[in-house]
Amino acid sequence: MKQIALYGKGGIGKSTTSANLSAALSGMGLDILQIGCDPKRDSTRMLMHGTFIPTVMDLVRERGDADLSLEEIVFKGYNGVRCVEAGGPEPGVGCAGRGIIATFQLLEKFGALKGDVIVYDVLGDVVCGGFAMPMREGYAQEIYLVTSGELMSLYAANNICKAIKRLASRVKSKCRLAGVICNAKGQPKEEELVAEFARRVNSRLIEFIPRDRVVQLAELNRKTVIEYEPASAQAACYRSLATRVMENTSLTIPSPLEIDELETLAYAYI
Amino acid sequence: MNLRPSPTPISRSGGCTLTGALSVTTQVRGAASIIHGPKGCAHHNFSLFHATLPDNDQAVLPDLVSSALGECDIIFGGEDALTRTIRSVCSRDVSTVFVLSTCIVATIGDDVEAVCGRDWPVPVIPVPTAGFFGGTFQDGVNNALIALADAGAPAPTRPCVNIIGEKNLEYEVDENYTEVVRLLTLLGLPVGIRFVRHLSPDDMPALGAAQVSILRDPSLVPVGDHLRERFGTPYIPSFPTGLSDTLAFIRSVAAACRIDPKRALEIEQALQAEILADFADIGDTEGVFCGPVMDTGSSRAAREAADALHIRVSSNREAHPLPVHPVVGTSGVRRMLHRWRRAIHA
Repeated sequence: MKQIALYGKGGIGKSTTSANLSAALSGMGLDILQIGCDPKRDSTRMLMHGTFIPTVMDLVRERGDADLSLEEIVFKGYNGVRCVEAGGPEPGVGCAGRGIIATFQLLEKFGALKGDVIVYDVLGDVVCGGFAMPMREGYAQEIYLVTSGELMSLYAANNICKAIKRLASRVKSKCRLAGVICNAKGQPKEEELVAEFARRVNSRLIEFIPRDRVVQLAELNRKTVIEYEPASAQAACYRSLATRVMENTSLTIPSPLEIDELETLAYAYI
Repeated sequence: MNLRPSPTPISRSGGCTLTGALSVTTQVRGAASIIHGPKGCAHHNFSLFHATLPDNDQAVLPDLVSSALGECDIIFGGEDALTRTIRSVCSRDVSTVFVLSTCIVATIGDDVEAVCGRDWPVPVIPVPTAGFFGGTFQDGVNNALIALADAGAPAPTRPCVNIIGEKNLEYEVDENYTEVVRLLTLLGLPVGIRFVRHLSPDDMPALGAAQVSILRDPSLVPVGDHLRERFGTPYIPSFPTGLSDTLAFIRSVAAACRIDPKRALEIEQALQAEILADFADIGDTEGVFCGPVMDTGSSRAAREAADALHIRVSSNREAHPLPVHPVVGTSGVRRMLHRWRRAIHA
């Protein structure tokens, strides 16, 4: 079983990329579980045709975890992709990170962490230990950074490299950086910049996903691009990403950049 | 961020803010103290009070209530659990409700003050404790005293002094209080209130009426400053420790209350001379100081008593052991000298 996690700056397109990746992987005949690890719970919405599925934390809040069943937290979406949303507290209260940990404990209790590939789609940045949970022992061993060529997006990706490096230093940890996915904003020389960033942090650019209006159209129609426009170049891009993820054996311990190095790098590609 | 880590080595005073604050709030009659956090935080403190209070002849166990947070409360926020707990406690016959926060509540950012600030049928006073985030045991004591002081109102001054911050968990708390009362009586001064020991909420108006506050020890200076700012009451920073410090204490209190200390000093000096004469039999010996405490005040008091009796203090382990205890006033020195006599004649 392959377990991968997508991390990146908020709003960079992690959920869109994750959902399309899961859809493309399912098209390869694989059994996929996608877990949204963000209290805003929209990771799996396109796989579920626009439905916000009940989150694990919603159910726990309403009923406690004693009498929940697997069927109530795992939902089948497009092409049989199994979807889970961790959910979390209302904004401004409680501890969302602990919610992620509690969700994982519950999923383990139910034996839900199974299939050919598990895709963890994680909130914008590693803000606390709870959001590093998908990188911990027994969960995702392959971390993909989703970034555009914008400096703040690269900055967030670089911070995640720091978290991976820290976790990778632990004796039992198998968590590694598996690559960088460029979800382009349409900047000039963006692919070159992100590729160079990936190289500098001791990794590589796995896929360049260009900006394309079909993504918006698919979302407005509550579908992944894979489902909405399977013959499009964008869908081919996601399928290429899926193939590369499955073939990827290049897992590294990242070497995060200092902030001035990062700024110099971004400046060089203006 | 907690910039006041517990002092090391670990001491009773280096404990959790919760215990410190509870040593104050549990001394308010008819009050309940809610510990907003997991059950364990209340359990450990209840166990400590259960074990300690009987030593001070207090048979009534404190009214501690836990908001009993579970994992769901941590994830979704504990304010609802606190609201339910306050509502439940207020339905009982309580004079005041104190709410003390724990580490986890501070971590998840519950707005305890906002919950306490709602319209409750009895005063609900938040005490900023926040478990270890809030500092040490002593910070808990100080914060509880300050929170309670804010419930008091300024009042016309009358000839009395208030006793501030007695160490309710120490064994000799009442003996020490009695000694201070004896010294005040020499000056003709009554005690207004003991803030806080066996305090009735009805006595609170006296808090702002004293001529002077007497702090138990200098760690309460932030409380003394607060009382001076709020009520204009000056303070003496500590109970007296040792013979000369007792005389200095009498002079300080007299000065603060504009009283002539001459007669009181004569009586106290005569008493001290009498005590030293009583213990002449342990003079001209060699001794070595030993625990249980070796703080500056106690050590100074012990050294002074030894010098007065011509006891040679050395580091020779073969010398007579001279136990150093926390001493308050002349009577405290006398108790210590009794211990020395037992050790020397053992």
